Amino acid sequence: MTKKKTRASLVTGLAGGPYELWAVIFILVPLAFVAYYAFTDNAFHFTTANITRFFTATSTVTGSDGAAGEVHTYLVIAWRSIKLAVISTVVCLLLGYPLAYIISRASPRAQKTMMTLIMIPMWMNFLIRTYAWMTILQDTGILNNFLAKLGLGRIHIIGTETAVIIGMVYDYLPYMIMPLYSIMAKMDYRLIEAARDLGCAPAGVLRRVILPLSMPGVVNGVTMVLIPSISTFYISQKLGDGMFFLLGDAIEGQYVANNLHFAAAIAFILMVALLAAMAVMRALTDRYTYGGKGT
Amino acid sequence: MDKIIELKNITKSYDGEAVLDDISLDIYDNEFITLLGPSGCGKTTTLRLIGGFETPDSGDILFGGERINDVPPHKRNVNTVFQRYALFPHLNVFENVAFPLRERKVPRDEITERVNEMLAMVALKGFEHRSVTSLSGGQQQRVAIARALVGKPRVLLLDEPLAALDLKLRKDMQQELKNIQKATGITFIFVTHDQEEALSMSDTIVVMSEGRIQQIGTSQDVYNEPKNAFVADFIGESNIVDGVMLRDKLVSFSGHTFPCVDGGFGANEPVDVVVRPEDVDIVAEDKGMLTGVVTSVTFMGVHYEVIVDIGGFKWMIQTTDFVDVDERIGLYIEPDAIHIMKKSEFSGLYGDYASFSNEFDELSDAESEGEE
Repeated sequence: MTKKKTRASLVTGLAGGPYELWAVIFILVPLAFVAYYAFTDNAFHFTTANITRFFTATSTVTGSDGAAGEVHTYLVIAWRSIKLAVISTVVCLLLGYPLAYIISRASPRAQKTMMTLIMIPMWMNFLIRTYAWMTILQDTGILNNFLAKLGLGRIHIIGTETAVIIGMVYDYLPYMIMPLYSIMAKMDYRLIEAARDLGCAPAGVLRRVILPLSMPGVVNGVTMVLIPSISTFYISQKLGDGMFFLLGDAIEGQYVANNLHFAAAIAFILMVALLAAMAVMRALTDRYTYGGKGT
Repeated sequence: MDKIIELKNITKSYDGEAVLDDISLDIYDNEFITLLGPSGCGKTTTLRLIGGFETPDSGDILFGGERINDVPPHKRNVNTVFQRYALFPHLNVFENVAFPLRERKVPRDEITERVNEMLAMVALKGFEHRSVTSLSGGQQQRVAIARALVGKPRVLLLDEPLAALDLKLRKDMQQELKNIQKATGITFIFVTHDQEEALSMSDTIVVMSEGRIQQIGTSQDVYNEPKNAFVADFIGESNIVDGVMLRDKLVSFSGHTFPCVDGGFGANEPVDVVVRPEDVDIVAEDKGMLTGVVTSVTFMGVHYEVIVDIGGFKWMIQTTDFVDVDERIGLYIEPDAIHIMKKSEFSGLYGDYASFSNEFDELSDAESEGEE
């Protein structure tokens, strides 16, 4: 009760209207439009053709061995999107977790500084950040010139999956660090001392106390990185040399081609899939991690 | 009894400020020893040094004769009951207690057996599957004790474990802790700023102030024979006045000469004289060794607390006889109620009740609780 009240009054203060009205205008109505477009044709008659097209459309690709084959165009794109998003999320987690822990254990002053440094890149437009990575990763870019100066061989990164992943990790890392940091900063240091006292070596403390207690932060961080990175676009076009067409790119492409109904259908399918994934994740969290409803 | 822990000339400072100043202390097997002092006296730091969470700047910590300065906490045969318990919120009661056993890969059956045994000892049978966050303060306290004892440490460290409990529960837990200590035979090192708690529980009390040990002794020792004005004031209530030791067993203070039982001072040596408020008898004015005017009377339940102005120095007297404010009364003091102390750096700082107020005392108690 209290929680709902404070939230409502906060939003009332911000938006000048009740929360429900705000939610309807800014969340439900746009979503309803997406669904409406997804299930109508150009003449706005009901149809499931857009949805069916996503699952059935095929195209011919030529493999590296020269043999041509039929593939389900959008399923291939969807699979590629999921794969890159999952890899990026895992890399973000592996990089972000120790970093968030180090920050959370620093002095309050240092914590503030480090968190600001992590946020600063987010103040720049992401197109500019992506272009910056192009300059760095190009065959004649900063990285390769540097390697050449050191007498090491040049490497070809731009246009590979690795380049796309680098770009995505760079863009989304702060979204991983923030929820992890906020939960770790609240963690009671005496619990770590208690674990040491009760016989845990540092590795045991991490496994038996820090990891389980930071699980809610991990779940939030994964959600905040996985969802935008599944629907990301542009990064793949610029850093992937157009070789790694993703769902976000597909939506953008259809939209630009004035194919609003099919664009909406892709967005709708993605949304339903993500909602289902989130529901599963939430259920697992509630059941198996500390802080969930099951504990 | 054997020494189990020896602290030898330990010093420790933070940011150039000395927290421990040349502490030496022997702790014996099987004893209940209490580190007692106001906040900031270094008692918690001493405990953390023994637990392995701090290392001394200089000096040695010996455990069973072996130097353990650099042994990390998880390799010490010592467990801690932390202030506000530090229970693992992601584990239930059973798993909290089983925590140290799982780390040591104790067989499953033995874990169940030992955890159940511990939970029975702290009267928490049937709470195995409860979440620790749903327990009351007293129950959490018991879980913390069971968890610290299940690994059978040689020494248990307790850092103000009862500070967060209400008075009644605190009294019960004091008794219970004492019983557990006797039953297990484990050495308890107990930290508190509550002198009553220290007096009622300890075999040995170590009174600390400003990073130094002021006195080590039994409860009776530190109460009846305080070494200096700090100890006399910190433990119980004390009237501390300037006196002159005329010769053995004869002391002069407040303009009167009293027979006493102490000796061994130089002739006419200036001393601090301690008289406990409960040891002063109120008599008619003409029969008193000292006379004074009552300035305040407070009813405390068991007794009245009377403040008497004797030649400008305010004495506290605890009596069951009613006297009225502004009444002139006489005071009679038995020879064995007078305790003589050598002059120290604390002389003149304590023992005058001119600015005394119960309220102020409680305020400063509450303040000190959250600090360490």
